[in-house]
Amino acid sequence: MKNKRYAIVLDTKRCIDCKACTVACKAENDVPVGRDNYRNWVDEEKLRGTYPNLGQSFTPSQCQHCANPPCAHVCPTKATVVSPDGIVHVIADKCIGCKYCQTACPYNARYYNEVIAAVDKCTFCSHRVYAGGMPACVETCPTKVRVFGDINDPNSEVSRLLAKNPSRVLKVAQGTKPHLFYLT
Amino acid sequence: MHPIFQHRPSRKLWFGLLSAGVVIGIIGALNVLINGHAHVYNVTREIPWGILIATYVFLVVSSTGLCLVSSLGHVFGIEKFEFIGKRAIILAIITLLCGFGTIGMEINHPIRLGIYAIISPNFSSAIWWMGTLYGLYLVLLSGELYFLMKGMHKGAFALGMAGFIAAISAHSNLGAVFGLLEARPFWYGSFLPIYFILSALVSGGAIVSMIVYFNHKESGTPMPQKYEDFMGTLGKLQALFLTILIFFVIWKIIPAVYGHPPEKFEATMATLTGPLAFNFWFFEVLLGMLIPVVILLNPRTRTPGGVMWAGLLSTFGIFFMRFDLVVAGQLVSMREGAADLTNGLLSYVPSITELAIVIGAISLCLFLYTLAEHLLPLDVEEDH
Amino acid sequence: MTRLLEKKLSRRRFIGVSSCALAGVAVGSQVKVLRALAQEGKVGAVTTLPTKDVFTSCGMCVNKCGVIARVRDGVIHKLDPNPNFAVKSRAMLCARGNAGTKVVYDPDRLKYPLIRVGERGEGKWRRASWDEALDLVGKNLNQIAEKYTRAGVVFASTEGTFQDHFFNQMAECYGSPNTLRHATLCLSSNIQGFSATFGTNPTPDVLNADYIIMSGANRSEAFITPDTIDLLKGDGGMRKLIYLDPRFTKTAAKADEWYPIKPGTDMAFILAMINVIVTEKRYNKDFVEKMTVGFDKLVPHIATYTPEWAAKECEIPAADIRRIARDFADAAPHAVYYQGRRSSFFANDTQMRRAMAILNAIIGNWDVEGGMIPNRSIAMTKHDYLAPYYDDIPGRLDADSVAYLSESDGSWSIFRDRVLEGKPYPVKGMMIYKQNCVASVPNRAKTLKMMAQMDFICTIDVTMSDTAWYSDVVLPEATYLERLDPPEVLGGIVPVVAWRQPAVEALFESKPCLWIMQQLAKRLGPDIADTFNFTMEEAIEHQCSNNPKILADLKSKGVYYEADKPVYGSSYGKPLKTKSGKIEIYSERYAEKGLDPLPVYSSPNVVPTGKYRLLVGRHAYFTHGTTTNNPYLHDIMPENTLWLHPQEAARLGLDDGRLVRVKSAVGEETLKLEVTEKIRPDSVYMAHGFGVLSKGQSNVYGVGGCDAALIEEKTCMISGNVAMHETLVEIFPA
Repeated sequence: MKNKRYAIVLDTKRCIDCKACTVACKAENDVPVGRDNYRNWVDEEKLRGTYPNLGQSFTPSQCQHCANPPCAHVCPTKATVVSPDGIVHVIADKCIGCKYCQTACPYNARYYNEVIAAVDKCTFCSHRVYAGGMPACVETCPTKVRVFGDINDPNSEVSRLLAKNPSRVLKVAQGTKPHLFYLT
Repeated sequence: MHPIFQHRPSRKLWFGLLSAGVVIGIIGALNVLINGHAHVYNVTREIPWGILIATYVFLVVSSTGLCLVSSLGHVFGIEKFEFIGKRAIILAIITLLCGFGTIGMEINHPIRLGIYAIISPNFSSAIWWMGTLYGLYLVLLSGELYFLMKGMHKGAFALGMAGFIAAISAHSNLGAVFGLLEARPFWYGSFLPIYFILSALVSGGAIVSMIVYFNHKESGTPMPQKYEDFMGTLGKLQALFLTILIFFVIWKIIPAVYGHPPEKFEATMATLTGPLAFNFWFFEVLLGMLIPVVILLNPRTRTPGGVMWAGLLSTFGIFFMRFDLVVAGQLVSMREGAADLTNGLLSYVPSITELAIVIGAISLCLFLYTLAEHLLPLDVEEDH
Repeated sequence: MTRLLEKKLSRRRFIGVSSCALAGVAVGSQVKVLRALAQEGKVGAVTTLPTKDVFTSCGMCVNKCGVIARVRDGVIHKLDPNPNFAVKSRAMLCARGNAGTKVVYDPDRLKYPLIRVGERGEGKWRRASWDEALDLVGKNLNQIAEKYTRAGVVFASTEGTFQDHFFNQMAECYGSPNTLRHATLCLSSNIQGFSATFGTNPTPDVLNADYIIMSGANRSEAFITPDTIDLLKGDGGMRKLIYLDPRFTKTAAKADEWYPIKPGTDMAFILAMINVIVTEKRYNKDFVEKMTVGFDKLVPHIATYTPEWAAKECEIPAADIRRIARDFADAAPHAVYYQGRRSSFFANDTQMRRAMAILNAIIGNWDVEGGMIPNRSIAMTKHDYLAPYYDDIPGRLDADSVAYLSESDGSWSIFRDRVLEGKPYPVKGMMIYKQNCVASVPNRAKTLKMMAQMDFICTIDVTMSDTAWYSDVVLPEATYLERLDPPEVLGGIVPVVAWRQPAVEALFESKPCLWIMQQLAKRLGPDIADTFNFTMEEAIEHQCSNNPKILADLKSKGVYYEADKPVYGSSYGKPLKTKSGKIEIYSERYAEKGLDPLPVYSSPNVVPTGKYRLLVGRHAYFTHGTTTNNPYLHDIMPENTLWLHPQEAARLGLDDGRLVRVKSAVGEETLKLEVTEKIRPDSVYMAHGFGVLSKGQSNVYGVGGCDAALIEEKTCMISGNVAMHETLVEIFPA
């Protein structure tokens, strides 16, 4: 049997920028309070048009769990590792806090967590996933922007969504092969 | 009274100032240890590398430069350069150690680095290579100094050669630390590793000019012809290095603004017209390059004093080059929607603690070097 | 896990030394703090630190979403949405809901009863025992009753804590007719306008409506379940959302069409829609004939309200109004003009809501799929008590002030005026339960003046609100995650019963409202104490006695409901609760009271050049003023700003981000300017919940500006509701 390969598919048209995902993640993962401390976020894209013809989109995001993660390449001590299921993890004890991974990540997905004394980032809530649950951001989302699942399972909802709809990834030119897919 | 600073400033004042600088640095360092990085540094999630990284780069560039320039003498056999060997190497060691100290204050767990760089090395990491090569470089420099002090020229030559290679490797690797970051178009590419080698030569030359000048200002007697000749040659060499550097800078800028390449353009414009523009035009261009080049190209101003002044100004300018390089690469947000943007850019201003550590590191360098001058026999035997 | 948790928490400031100069435990994990407190005897002995999942209900806002509290080693680790609650909350939990753990473990939370020692508002307190504090409250209540009358104490309370009933029971049993609730700062005009038409305030069937028009009911930020979620369930083109708001809100970003309508002119837009639908005979003739009264009077009434006329008023092109009216009628009955809840905009708000109701009525969307559905409920046994009888008590202080005054809600602004006048009788005591009137009633200076003339003020809350800050005694209530709360029916298209059971024991000396009321009752005499002679468990049993399945389901699923889908048409064949028993397009009752029986438009006050209309609004991460200090939510939005259109900012020469002074007729506040195209040039906006006076709210004390300090209290004379958008302000550089 093939390995699982976890991914998130997002339908940003549904996103109302309520930040439920951000707070759920903070609580679930004991992310310390503070401006810089968050594992996921919702970006308010630039306002389009001029008054009164305006438009705006909101883009929720987090670690892209890249198949070619620059953060893992640059880490001098292999503190960033990739699980067989594609989840990119930080081994806190090995992190020297050089923040090279923070400069290497094109998504600004990492921050330095003073409490665990290491760089920290989204883990797809692997502790919940391995226990049969969903990542906190996925579960809590009011409008269900995010769908989480195994893209190696052709019958999973993520696979079906990606088959049925065109999608894009962020900064494709970086060659990072992200695993957050945005429906277009 | 030690000869170097017999006239001005007095040694007491000099040591007093440097001690004050070191104390400021220690207070800064203690502040970090007590309150934690996040609370006393102005680096952020978006701009994780600040002035301490820039200072580290500045110091290790200086170290590399000193090694390269001194190797012109005892490795490449240019006799005029031989007499600066010991001083250049000892200062190279000191700047390297202070550089390590500075980056040690920036990274959160230097001890973990020592452990996991060995038991869990990542050969694809430019920082791992940089650390390893600089470590090797430090060993070679120390050996070279030992042989030089003992007057063992063959050994010094062999280690000098090895040190030269290590210096270039380590230093271009430092360029690669930035150059391999595809996420940061301002840094990404093969330019920085090459540029770093050239700029090390400029740094090294500039510092050597100051060492020689002040070292022989000491006696109050006129500078011996030998040294005057050396300063003249060094001045010409510096003029060459600086002129090439100017073209490096020009050719770094032109492709970055020519077709408005995304992110690279914005970062470059941040240095040309944005928040770093004063640093760039005043410190980097005017003080760091143009004035020194003018001084050095004009035979009338290419006196030992002129060469020293050119070196001093260049060194000053180079510090800002390092700062601007490190900061500009991070000013463009990785996310369009990120908060706190001013004119579309992130901002970074060093905190007082960061500045204190920078002052401490540079003061410590000078302090240790002055001490070395005082305690070690660094003059080359005339019979050589 | 425990080790990690302790380590993670160890550096957090769990209990800071508050401005109240109380001995606080400066650092330590929550577990450690619990243990330490247990050793000091400050909380019950912590013999075990349980790990369990607890079904309960969120208490962060009005929606009361189902929650599963994940308790790990005696600490609430995370609040997850209860999937069984999907019928109402769609199994979600918003930012505020997720921030609930920080309500319990908030360094700013009230820990012990406090008695004021300095001047009011000075912030000098001393810690008191419950006995001492309650004795003092009891003494003062008894004194006021004796010196004035029992009506001399006003009971101001929040709603929806599930225990507010016990507070109101106290008001009744103490004998005061003067209760003040939030409705006249919120939706009473809305309820009035719709009830005058339909006999009830129905709920729009958002899930099944194909065409929705919203006037400022910013559902993507002002969450109402399930509407907020259902609004996004569009199926790729079928669903249309037309949104009118002077601000480009997040709802505007999601809408198919956004019109920055001139504030105060929504009624013109609605009347013009009615005009089009009536004159073009697009209304539901059958329905109008059978189900409504007064349509014949409507026809001439709206004759002059043409789209061309309205376009001049509301600045929406006539062609758009006409098109929207036609599309709306075409989509009927799967079309709703969504009335929302929120604060009234203008003093004529009731009539504006009437116009909305009439527009809905004539397209015949009443009680059908995708239309306006009367709320349903679930039968439960009422909590009953026999209140003591006092024969010398006058009526409400604000009686006869407006056409339709709610006996239980009152009218905040009018009540306040009468207290200050001392007429018809003095009110000298305030009992406040989790209401933050200082920060939420318009004209803060006047509220403070009213409080200054009180002999005694006691506030029960979980945190040091501005109102608590100006009180004499502050009593710490247990938070919603530490309480056993009685079940409550959340009415709606699909009603559910929710309740709360404690996830953890109440921290420090905080106590549930019922306990506080029981202890206070003992100090007010045996008659009152008798009415509180029950336990919470008994009250719950009693409430569920008609249907034991309620309690069983609450325990096993965290929710009880009888149908998981809407039931339509149940109101047909029965008279509605109006005078005629039908939908009243023309209101006989209003005519009798001398009110306009059909909504008559009047233009809003003119905004002169150099002045701006101050708008209020919501953000999805804040519930009024209660959550801005929450550490998680504070991270998202640490301060409020004044929104101003770039054109006006340029005219005033003010840059984005600079501090400005905002001045109205009643107050002045200083906050940062945010120059944005998201607002009409004639209006400015600031978020609620900042500019806090209480140093007990350490994150937001003195940060940003307080809207209540600026807003004037113009009041709707039909419902008593305060109008929030009648205030004009000037802006100066600070």
